[in-house]
Amino acid sequence: MNKFTEDDLKKELETKEYEYGFYTDIEADKFPVGLNEDVVIAISKKKNEPKWMTDWRLEAFRIWKEMEEPEWANINYKKPDFQNISYYSAPKQKPTLDSLDQVDPELLKTFEKLGISIDEQKRLSNVAVDVVMDSVSVATTFKKTLNEKGIIFCPISEAIQKHPDLVKKYLGSIVPKTDNFYAALNSAVFSDGSFCYIPKGVTCPMELSTYFRINEGGTGQFERTLVIADKGSYVSYLEGCTAPQRDENQLHAAVVELIALDDAEIKYSTVQNWFPGDDKGKGGVFNFVTKRGLCETNAKISWTQVETGSAITWKYPSCILKGDNAVGEFYSIAVTNNYQQADTGTKMIHLGNNTKSTIISKGVSAGKSQNSYRGLVQIHSKAKNARNFSQCDSLLMGNECGAHTFPYIECKNQTAQIEHEATTSKIGEDQLFYCNQRGIDTEKAIALIVNGFSKEVLNKLPMEFAVEAQKLLEISLEGSVG
Amino acid sequence: MLEIKNLHAGIEGKDILKGINLTINAGEVHAIMGPNGSGKSTLSSVIAGNETYEVTKGDIILDNESLLEVAPETRAHKGVFLSFQYPVEIPGVTTTNFIKTAINEKRKAQGLEELPAKDMLKLIREKSTLLEMDRKFLSRSLNEGFSGGEKKRNEIFQMAMLEPKLAILDETDSGLDIDALKIVANGVNKLKNKDNAVIVITHYQRLLEYIVPDYVHVLYNGKIVKSGGKELAFELEEKGYDWIKNL
Amino acid sequence: MSLKEKLISSFIALENKGSVDLDSNIHNIRTKAIEVFEQKGFPTKKDEEWKYTSLKSILKHNYSVFPSSENSVEVNDIKKYFIQGIESYKIVFIDGVYSSFLSETTHDGFDICLLSSAIKKTKHKIVTDYYFNTLANKNDSITALNTAFTTEGTYIHIPKNVMVPKPIQLMYFYTGKENEVMLQPRNLIIVGENSHVQIVERHQCLTKKATVLTNAVTEIFAHKRAIVDWYKIQNDTENASLIDSTFVEQRENSIVSVNTYSFGGKLTRNNLEFHQKGEHIVSNLNGISVLNKKQHVDHHTLVNHIEPNCESHELYKGIYNNASTGVFNGKVIVKKEAQKTNAYQQNNSILIGDKAAVNAKPQLEIFADDVKCSHGCTIGQLDESALFYMQQRGIPKAEAKALLLFAFANDVVEKIKIPELKTTITKLIADKLGVELGFNL
Repeated sequence: MNKFTEDDLKKELETKEYEYGFYTDIEADKFPVGLNEDVVIAISKKKNEPKWMTDWRLEAFRIWKEMEEPEWANINYKKPDFQNISYYSAPKQKPTLDSLDQVDPELLKTFEKLGISIDEQKRLSNVAVDVVMDSVSVATTFKKTLNEKGIIFCPISEAIQKHPDLVKKYLGSIVPKTDNFYAALNSAVFSDGSFCYIPKGVTCPMELSTYFRINEGGTGQFERTLVIADKGSYVSYLEGCTAPQRDENQLHAAVVELIALDDAEIKYSTVQNWFPGDDKGKGGVFNFVTKRGLCETNAKISWTQVETGSAITWKYPSCILKGDNAVGEFYSIAVTNNYQQADTGTKMIHLGNNTKSTIISKGVSAGKSQNSYRGLVQIHSKAKNARNFSQCDSLLMGNECGAHTFPYIECKNQTAQIEHEATTSKIGEDQLFYCNQRGIDTEKAIALIVNGFSKEVLNKLPMEFAVEAQKLLEISLEGSVG
Repeated sequence: MLEIKNLHAGIEGKDILKGINLTINAGEVHAIMGPNGSGKSTLSSVIAGNETYEVTKGDIILDNESLLEVAPETRAHKGVFLSFQYPVEIPGVTTTNFIKTAINEKRKAQGLEELPAKDMLKLIREKSTLLEMDRKFLSRSLNEGFSGGEKKRNEIFQMAMLEPKLAILDETDSGLDIDALKIVANGVNKLKNKDNAVIVITHYQRLLEYIVPDYVHVLYNGKIVKSGGKELAFELEEKGYDWIKNL
Repeated sequence: MSLKEKLISSFIALENKGSVDLDSNIHNIRTKAIEVFEQKGFPTKKDEEWKYTSLKSILKHNYSVFPSSENSVEVNDIKKYFIQGIESYKIVFIDGVYSSFLSETTHDGFDICLLSSAIKKTKHKIVTDYYFNTLANKNDSITALNTAFTTEGTYIHIPKNVMVPKPIQLMYFYTGKENEVMLQPRNLIIVGENSHVQIVERHQCLTKKATVLTNAVTEIFAHKRAIVDWYKIQNDTENASLIDSTFVEQRENSIVSVNTYSFGGKLTRNNLEFHQKGEHIVSNLNGISVLNKKQHVDHHTLVNHIEPNCESHELYKGIYNNASTGVFNGKVIVKKEAQKTNAYQQNNSILIGDKAAVNAKPQLEIFADDVKCSHGCTIGQLDESALFYMQQRGIPKAEAKALLLFAFANDVVEKIKIPELKTTITKLIADKLGVELGFNL
């Protein structure tokens, strides 16, 4: 019988080329490889930064020099040679643009291939896109609408110039320079990223969105994102990534800091589809990200992520629930295939009374990949009536992959209520036959089942993003998702 | 329409079906009865193409074409429908989404366009009313947390949606109370016409009071040991399965 | 001199004592073990496996490593620590020394005797050489420490097809003659094909004032179809601490259950490892902790699923009063070949004390795809509505609370297969919770 078996699917998965693997040819202004204080100063100079910023970076660099690359995660890789990376790369054309016509046509083409053309976004989805192309923003839209509301949404380099007080106050306040190896590195050399400030009581009228790209071979990308939601405000922020197919490992060490002041809410969604390496485990992006948010009284931060790319993912979007009644949420789908390795999860730190957190983590492993959930739920002794619910489910496809869960639960207050559940399963033969009997072939049945498995998380994404996320699941695990 | 010729099948070298011969014409209802372990469910699985079972001899022919080398989904596209004795749960996939996918896959196989959402909804409304189904089940995960009766009703609902040429009801009556049984039987009877056929597999004749068969076959130890009209079911009920063991 | 230094120099003394056969296999094992300990020392909180348990407070004492013997105790002093109303084999140690007077051992059909004599007798030596220290984790410094120093313990060897007719009680008493003492008993248990044995183990200090640190290691080998039920009663005095490391190796179709009841002691660390080497194995791990004051209990379990079609069931419940702390670290590994594994793990805790804390780390590491694995972990309080319901029916709050806690622990108690032991454990829990059971146990 020429039935499409799970083995066939696996084979096809392995040979499936990275669909978004193309390379945009834009001239880049690039530093030679290596990192020392002079390079840090040069990056700062390149961006015309004030002295306080240069000093801040230098301090971070000195801290980083003393640190060692961590080894506790469940990942194996050849450590990057940090002296063999170029720490700055920017497109040579750096116009300030008011309309899409002025954007490099190559770039527009790239986005069209991704199915996320700015054009369409602008027209249909009411999304303001701050495009970060290899570290420097080249296009910003919808500025006017945002201006009217007093919302600041700009490259962080611009914020350093124009809003130094806000940057000084909050940059590094949630993820200090000393936090970890990669955060320290980022603090020293971050090239650009997004800055967002929502004033008191303002509900941001549109989804703010940044598409990151790593584009130049051999350049590490060090994005820095800072989102501040002032009292009683609301913002939904989207971040999506794809990368061109490259043969060498690309290092990415981003830092994202979120601040939700009293009664504010931040929804931060990510779809990540960087080049995962080929079917022999060659190449692929190393993704070491530090994401953390702080919730003051009655504030809420919600992280949603769909992780399908990167050779290595090291990422734990976290919430510090400092104020009373603060709410933290983490919804994640991580799909790994071939030789991908993901060690991802979250930390929920309960400091305030009546704080609540929810963790829903779904891992799908295929090929020879390893997929780990690592999480911490910490209830401090003064946090009364804290609540946590965690659910970590793993779905395995084939027997050469691994699924692991490492939840840490630390409870120091007797009024806390914590519930943690984890399951591991595979797609059942009986489920596949049932679908076959109703006329659905195996490939499609798997897509259907994976989509059902991931649904709780997909549902948390904003509509226009959910569509893209489903697309990425399809590419990662084959089959169209119904 | 369906012709089963000297069918032998088993699992891991163990023979379960030992030479089944059966011919079913359009417009007919056949009942297959027999004690536990006689091979009833194996027969339905083999017709539907479950690869757990191996066909060692014989053939299954649908509309002059052998089904043996045909994948289960293709058999489904050709109009074979199996109402499972134990319908499978698929977490996260709603009944609506599932049936939509199934219908569109079938249409695709037939070279048709996808059914427009409006028509799909209309069809779902119509068929779920026929089965007196609570609409809320349609937005719940397929069979997950459904009671036995709800699962069976959902099977017949899917059958109504897919309008198969050949429907096999495997122990559809088990787990149904009398009201649900009537609804399910009523649904099946409404779907029956001169162009399709139904195989009812059951242990008891209770369901056959509502879905009246044209023929009754008694399966025992992998073979059809007796065939007759609907009166055979009553005789069997009365005399018990021990009776056939001596046939 | 730190305890580590003291131990290392004591090892030389032990070797020079002449009681150790320098040419034996055991001698080589000891020498290697002390090297591991010397290199690694006592674990600290920096060690991932000891993240939540600090040994600092119990390592600061000037323990006597070779306690003086010749202590005798009255039967009446220790009677209450045995399970009442039951026939049993007994192997009793007083201050680390075997007491033939209090024991009831056997060589009739199977062997229940001293490990020290088993190692020396040619007949048993073949067996001990084959099994001794083959299962215990050689790289674990605490286990290595025991290996280097142990001089005494229990040896049980059950051949094929034996139903041991009555439970075996392993009793380790400390009289408190010396104020600070460290004991390192070692047990080796081999259960042959199709045999069945029930064992109860207890470490007990007889006085409240003595500071005792027991570092016990047990190796259990369960052959084909063997059934082993092991019960650990941990209800020691408030200055007694215990590090217990138990290693279990199972062969096909065997069923091994280890049940741990932690009520007493200052600091208790239970390392429990199961290695499944065969198909259709069932491993059961159950535990109840009821703690108060500043007690600390750390349950560290590992189930290593190596072969297909095996099961493991883990159920740990904890009730934490006052400033007591609990740790549950349950690791389940499912190797690539271990298809059709069914691993289930559940850990439920109730915090009552305002300074009580629980740290839980239920880990799954899965390399096979056709498996059913789940873990659940809850930390919470008593059901307020149930409490109110009971109060409304006239049951005082304190009583109602205790009854609910008792009920919470009860499903683990129900797993005890020796009725008299069930009574003992029930009573110990009731005592600790202050529940009036209303009938005489």
